[in-house]
Amino acid sequence: MSDSYLDPRPARLSWPSRRAALRLALPALFVAILAFFALAAPGFLSLGNLSSLLLNNFVLLAMVAIGMTCAIAAGGIDLSVGTALDFSALAFVALLNAGSGLPLALGGALLAGTLVGAGNAGLIAGLRISPFLASLGSLFIGTSAQQLLSDGGQPNYLAPEARPDLAGARFFGVPLPLLAVAALAAVYGLALARGRFGRQVLALGNQPLVARYSGLAERRIAAWVFVAGAFACALAGILLAATVNAYVPMSGNAFLMNAIGAVFIGATLNRHGRANIPGTLLGVLFLNVTANGLLLIGWSFYWQQVATGALILLVLVFSFVGRRPGD
Amino acid sequence: MSAAETPPQAVVLELRGIVKRFGATRALDGASLRVRRGSVHGLVGENGAGKSTLIKVLAGIHRPDAGSLLVDGRAHAHFDPRQVERLGIRFIHQERLLPAGFTVDEALFFGQERRLGPWLDRRAQRREAERLLEHWFGLRLPAGALVGELSSAEQQVLQIVRALIVKPRVLVFDEPSVALVRSEVERLLCIVRRLRDEGLAIVYISHYLQEIEALCDRVTVLRNGRDVAEVDPRATSPERIARLMVNREVGELYPKSAPAPGAPLLEVRGLGRGRAYRDIDLRVRRGEVVGLTGLVGSGAKELLKSLFGLAPPDTGEVRLDGRPLALRTPRQAVAEGIALLPEERRRQGVALDLSVQENVTLAALPRFSRFGLLSRRAERRETLGLIERLRIKSAGPQATVRQLSGGNQQKVALAKWFARRSSLYLLDEPSVGIDIGAKAEIYRLIGELAREGAGVLILSSDLPELLGLCERIHVMHRGRIAARFEAGEADSDKLLAVATGAVAQQETSVHESIPG
Repeated sequence: MSDSYLDPRPARLSWPSRRAALRLALPALFVAILAFFALAAPGFLSLGNLSSLLLNNFVLLAMVAIGMTCAIAAGGIDLSVGTALDFSALAFVALLNAGSGLPLALGGALLAGTLVGAGNAGLIAGLRISPFLASLGSLFIGTSAQQLLSDGGQPNYLAPEARPDLAGARFFGVPLPLLAVAALAAVYGLALARGRFGRQVLALGNQPLVARYSGLAERRIAAWVFVAGAFACALAGILLAATVNAYVPMSGNAFLMNAIGAVFIGATLNRHGRANIPGTLLGVLFLNVTANGLLLIGWSFYWQQVATGALILLVLVFSFVGRRPGD
Repeated sequence: MSAAETPPQAVVLELRGIVKRFGATRALDGASLRVRRGSVHGLVGENGAGKSTLIKVLAGIHRPDAGSLLVDGRAHAHFDPRQVERLGIRFIHQERLLPAGFTVDEALFFGQERRLGPWLDRRAQRREAERLLEHWFGLRLPAGALVGELSSAEQQVLQIVRALIVKPRVLVFDEPSVALVRSEVERLLCIVRRLRDEGLAIVYISHYLQEIEALCDRVTVLRNGRDVAEVDPRATSPERIARLMVNREVGELYPKSAPAPGAPLLEVRGLGRGRAYRDIDLRVRRGEVVGLTGLVGSGAKELLKSLFGLAPPDTGEVRLDGRPLALRTPRQAVAEGIALLPEERRRQGVALDLSVQENVTLAALPRFSRFGLLSRRAERRETLGLIERLRIKSAGPQATVRQLSGGNQQKVALAKWFARRSSLYLLDEPSVGIDIGAKAEIYRLIGELAREGAGVLILSSDLPELLGLCERIHVMHRGRIAARFEAGEADSDKLLAVATGAVAQQETSVHESIPG
């Protein structure tokens, strides 16, 4: 890792008064948007809409964004989150269709997705390539490999008899996907906020040289960050495949921009401007609600994208305005 | 040269009472300088005396808070970089600033390209590059050679020629000889004399008093941001100039410790690393404070880095507590109980956007964690203890380090190693850029460390500091330890004389030129 400008990182805020105002402004904006859609979009507050929003939109993006949070907290970025997701989905579908049991399929999928992260880790820690370029390479290779394997993007459907009902399963009345994302958020959130590992990641992300001069194994930390990030994406891949009962090539790339946006939105909510899991989850919710509400009031998909982009831009402008001048 | 209309020996450039403050510190406190046409004017001073700030004011990088700059008698409140170029003031810096991937002609004409209509006239550029190099320095270099393939001296020449293309009137050399070997230095001096004879006004900044004596017509001594004297170096001994440079006030700054050195902690024998340093023998015992000094380029800094695993040596051995060490990473060094307080505090010593607590525990995280989870209570307890012991002035363990003063940031950097319970402390310019009060406290802490049985090796260019703190001082010159002084037998003059090469003590051979 370097202090290269290639590694975008959350704009750190150091100007207390503006920062405090900003931290209030964002939740206020969120509440305003919720209120607006509650009034303007019929059915927005209905149980059906809200639960579908959570189960279909929130869960997947949240997992990918959790993975992205790790990379950004360490001062890097992971452009290959979608690739990890896709590889996991591919392995999951392929293994189930080949007749292997669910445990093997799960294990294989997690392994396949995590391997993408391991590849990044090798490039970053072993060859000292910047995270941006390493994961950009993985993204290109991963996309091309999928096109080759799938005849240019043909979906691979799960055989009806091999379909596990993961997406619809419930434990104690709570849908399994929600439980999975909660568990993931809890483990990653704890590790980042309270764990020794999280502190090392923090130091690395803030000032790599200080991490090095303090005797931290900075390259090993960076490697684990990318492996852990890919693991979260692999989990999302399994869930996606189980939801649509298919592996749809390159579908992971759709999550990339939103995941980055969510992490940066979340970082502006933190007192120190640090990437953090609770903030990321709120950022994901923020994006989901906006997209869902716009859909309900009849905006087309493309206008939703424009609105989402404008929102992220707004948040980032906020965070830069909030920075100490001359920093 | 375009200075033809100016009468000989006229003052071309004058700085009057320049004041430059950074926050609470006054980097320049009324510094003045007068440079005449056709003369070489030396500028000397200890580190932190304000030389580089003065140069940056001259280059238009810093705006002075008070004082004026006069060119041919016309006063300016400040410069900006473009104006500086228009006025014909050019700079030769110590670091090689030309891009390694450029060819000779590209480097020479970068930003001042020869054009033919809208296009570059590469042919004219190449021809002129070769002609200029030959004309000024008798150097035959193909214009297509890459800068990165040239020797340090050749790159230096390139910088000078680059500055000469615009026909400057004032040329400022900022420690130009640091990267050169002796034979190359001789060449450089000849070049500078020739430029002077052409009628240029030259400012020559150097730590090496020999060069000043050999070259300069006048020399201004800078101390604490002020010009304390302007003398003729040929009529003044280097020892006297050194005395003028060194701050005399010592007082009660230093802890009076009764040295009771224990077992050998660090033993270095015959250590060498490439061109950086050679044949280094050094010993630090427990309870001992040992000093190391040398000018930029003397190898002292590299040596310190090697002892922290940052620049592995090629030859020789390092022992810690009698065990041989092969340090290749800082991580190994920290695991062995070695601590480094780096000079670049804000880049390497403390993480500015982390809290005091997060900084203090960073090197000792395993001590504060169980099953991978940190105990914030244990961290807080340790941090509070160290805040009190080191008298760190902050809003508490959660205060962001960026908000602290330089001295308190330095204490945080030191506290990190206290928390790690390090046994060998390598301190690189421990008091640079911190106020006198914090300085005294850092010195007190160094004394405490030694009394508790740690070994301390201080690299410093602040000579009174070394004399006040150390039981033994090693002086490096051009890659070797040129002299060792026991406490009491050294003074600033002697140290500086050895460091600058004015006296070649115990040094058997001068720096031979490097083959190839």
